[in-house]
Amino acid sequence: MEKFFELLTHMNPFDLVQVIFWGMAGAISFYFSMGNARVWTSISIGFFLIFLSQAYGINPWGHYQKLTAFHYIVGTVAIMMITHGFLEYYVFCRTFEISGNKLIVYLSTLGILAASGVFLMINPNPSPNTIRNIRMVENAIWVFLCVMNIELVRKIYLAIKDSDISKGFIAFGLVFFFIFLWKGSELYLQIFQWDQDWQDIIALMSDESTDFDQYPARIQFSQEVRRYAGLLSGISVGGTFTYIYRLLK
Amino acid sequence: MFLLPKGNPLFENLAVTKLKLPDVLLKLSTGGFTGYSSFVFQTSTVILVFEAGKLVSALLEDRNGKRQNGFEALSALAELMVSSGSGAMNVYKLSKDLTMCIHALLEGETLYKAQELKLIDINSLLGKVKNDRMNGCLRIYTEEHSAMIFYKEGNPLGFFHDGSGDIESSSSESQKIAGLPGAKIDLYATQSVEEIMGINLLEVANIQKIWDATVALHQSEIDRTNKERQERDKKAATLRLAELEEQVKVIVGEYVGKVGRGIVDKELSENGGNSCLIDEAAFAKFLSGIERAAKLLISGTNIKAMMEKLASTITIARSDS
Repeated sequence: MEKFFELLTHMNPFDLVQVIFWGMAGAISFYFSMGNARVWTSISIGFFLIFLSQAYGINPWGHYQKLTAFHYIVGTVAIMMITHGFLEYYVFCRTFEISGNKLIVYLSTLGILAASGVFLMINPNPSPNTIRNIRMVENAIWVFLCVMNIELVRKIYLAIKDSDISKGFIAFGLVFFFIFLWKGSELYLQIFQWDQDWQDIIALMSDESTDFDQYPARIQFSQEVRRYAGLLSGISVGGTFTYIYRLLK
Repeated sequence: MFLLPKGNPLFENLAVTKLKLPDVLLKLSTGGFTGYSSFVFQTSTVILVFEAGKLVSALLEDRNGKRQNGFEALSALAELMVSSGSGAMNVYKLSKDLTMCIHALLEGETLYKAQELKLIDINSLLGKVKNDRMNGCLRIYTEEHSAMIFYKEGNPLGFFHDGSGDIESSSSESQKIAGLPGAKIDLYATQSVEEIMGINLLEVANIQKIWDATVALHQSEIDRTNKERQERDKKAATLRLAELEEQVKVIVGEYVGKVGRGIVDKELSENGGNSCLIDEAAFAKFLSGIERAAKLLISGTNIKAMMEKLASTITIARSDS
């Protein structure tokens, strides 16, 4: 516990606020998943998993590389769950079919996470470079699935625009826009090796160089976008679920 | 309509719907019955005259006075017995002579028809009846009254007039009618009893076949009518269900939006079509499906209001049908 509080005091206040917001969004979405229709389960569990993926900063055992890698894998599972949920919602809007049950969704999610954990355990300890690669894959998946989800949300909205919940999907559109900016800016920095992880890696590797100093403006801009879009993502997710909860009450 | 002497009633007011013509005729025939049987229906009356078990005459007269006899009358009687749904049968035993006179009245040769009495020398006419030793019936009538005098070989057998229960020996009523202004006469002559005995319609016509054909025709008519009614009912039910389905779609659409119609369509197809709306168990399943889908789209308050409206609409529709 002491270590946890020590981490909190050493953490960037902005990142801390972001984690707190994701914690609130995760709690709201998880609560939402329990009291609502099956189709919402995948979506709300996915958003809850974002909190888990973001919580590595406050994880007292975060220095274990396998655990750090696991956080990023959880992030990847999160967006896949969310996309699966929206896809199911879209299918419902077209066919009015609702299948499956909540327990299977919960158990499947746990199964995927457990399999990911096993995958990490049976493989060598990931190097900082491997962890960065996992994080980059996560960001790439997030960016492309965010675009797909914006399109899905648009189509869902058009199908149900005269129902009570339709405005909630506009809010989800906004959520994915913020997440797209957040993850997109992070991916941009990673692709051009301007991210902090890469700077930390090359500090230990003498044969690698960086052009970090040549593009301070765009790097600075991207970093700011990442920070604020990340914060707005957390706030908008919590707000959206609260809004939908009220619409469905 | 016929007004005949009742003679000795064997049966009166038997319900025709419970009788079978072949059985009736067989019974009268094998019993060597002499007399007549009348079948009284709302639209017509049929008289069957028997002489020692032989069917010597069959006559049908409808309300408008139109007559059919012989085979046609028997066929019509079979049809009336099968299809009329009501009617009464009477059987009266008569003497051979009176039976002959009834035959004359019904089917005999018409010597005079609607002749005004004042233009006729009645004494010479009666003299002719006596001299020619005629068998037959003299009918004297006005618009409101009628009387008959039956003759056998020129001699009067008796008198029959409106309200008579039987042949009477008094001629006073006949004379009274004959004295009324506008009185007319009909004179019918027939063959002797022995000649009449030579006729038997039961040998000419296959009554069983006529009856069976009539029953089969009537049955097919009933079947056709039933089928038409069933089809009509089915169409009406289909129409009612379609209207109810539309009502349900409007209600769901009102709360859920345009996807509501699709949700209703899907749930109807999963529950065996719109007939599930009037089946209690299937409707409960249908409602549960609608509620499940609505949970993804509208608030709990609106779901509750929608479900109540749907349930009351269906209850009203069920009580109306």
